[in-house]
Amino acid sequence: MESDIVEHTGSRTTRLLGASVFVGLVALVLLGFFVAPPDDDQLDAVRMIFIHVPSAIFTYVAFVTTAIGSVMWLLRRSIWWDTVAGAAAEIGVLFCGLTLFTGSVWGRPTWNTYWDWGDVRLVTTLILFLMMIGYLSVRSLGGSVEATATRAAVVGVLGAALLPIINRSVEWWENNTLHQKSSLTDGKLEGMTLFTLFVGIVVWGLFFAWSLIHRFRISWLERELRTTDLDQALRDRRAEGHRV
Amino acid sequence: MTDTLSPRAPRTGRRGSRRWLPAIIAVGVLAAVVVLVLNLFTGALFFYNVDEAIEQRSDLGDDRFTLQGIPIECSITKGTIGDEVVTAFSVSFGGAIVDVVHRGDPAELFKGGVSVVLDGAWVEGDPGVAGFDGLANDGWYYSSDRMRVKHDEDYINEDEYDSRLAESRSQSQIASEVCGT
Repeated sequence: MESDIVEHTGSRTTRLLGASVFVGLVALVLLGFFVAPPDDDQLDAVRMIFIHVPSAIFTYVAFVTTAIGSVMWLLRRSIWWDTVAGAAAEIGVLFCGLTLFTGSVWGRPTWNTYWDWGDVRLVTTLILFLMMIGYLSVRSLGGSVEATATRAAVVGVLGAALLPIINRSVEWWENNTLHQKSSLTDGKLEGMTLFTLFVGIVVWGLFFAWSLIHRFRISWLERELRTTDLDQALRDRRAEGHRV
Repeated sequence: MTDTLSPRAPRTGRRGSRRWLPAIIAVGVLAAVVVLVLNLFTGALFFYNVDEAIEQRSDLGDDRFTLQGIPIECSITKGTIGDEVVTAFSVSFGGAIVDVVHRGDPAELFKGGVSVVLDGAWVEGDPGVAGFDGLANDGWYYSSDRMRVKHDEDYINEDEYDSRLAESRSQSQIASEVCGT
């Protein structure tokens, strides 16, 4: 039986998104390194904000997407939403890793340390990162598609429950963190620094959309292939039975 | 690529390590999360602000603890104790002041007005650093050997925003009072 061969997961939309990400990244590098001014206190180290903050924002967006997809699976058994949840989690792990890495690199010149194990913001973010790696591991566990998706959905919702705790940790446990409060929501940024950060957020948003669409399509095709594989195997078995 | 659509041979290695790898990762991640949560609630970084540290001085005794305060610019003095190079300064927070002797290199961003988080302990007596007249001068000082900087969320440069200057002035009011500047 002939089957449609999918050569790639691109479309006009994703190509446009991809090109926008590329142009945006070039603009971000130029703005971040050559236009935005150094900070009074942190000097050039402040430029890490243009990567760190967008990564943190889209970590939140990705894991909220995973949580929504997980809830939709639990409520409606929607394979489409389960696939979205898995795709968003993979991208979220990437962004969360980037947030931890850039925060650590930024911490060395500003805080005088890469990491502090007692810091509530840092450690809760690491817990989120590990939980979402756990989520991806659970998705890879054996068993029926239904059971795997349900187990993963529970972990996905639990992981997202950490987000408000992480977000408010700098307010709730002020004496337990080196991390500053939010500059963006408190209006502590302006001029080219604010503009460049805004560009960073837009570029990361486009990249999130681009990678989510591609990853979703790949996951969907993998699922289709597994189903096709199974159907073909059943047909072959039946054919063997007829021959005997 | 027709192989991908052919019936697959029954798997013989169902109990192989590959099948268990995600489970092992999941358990490892769970264990790591538990350890991290426990570590978090032991409060390894819990710091006392200057006013709290003074208030609980008798309870803290000579135990090591973490102190947070804002260095007062005019008090920062490089000196020596024996052969050791130290940085002596006073920190303020909540209307209180503590004298500090820090052994080792100060943080890169260490300067007056930018909050520091220090590891160390109370010591009774005079800091004994030539040229340093502690602004607290209350017969106690904080001996520190680790310094981190806790910068605030403000990224507005002074030359960009006039009111930032006014805010900065009010924040350093205590420094002006004690330094007489």
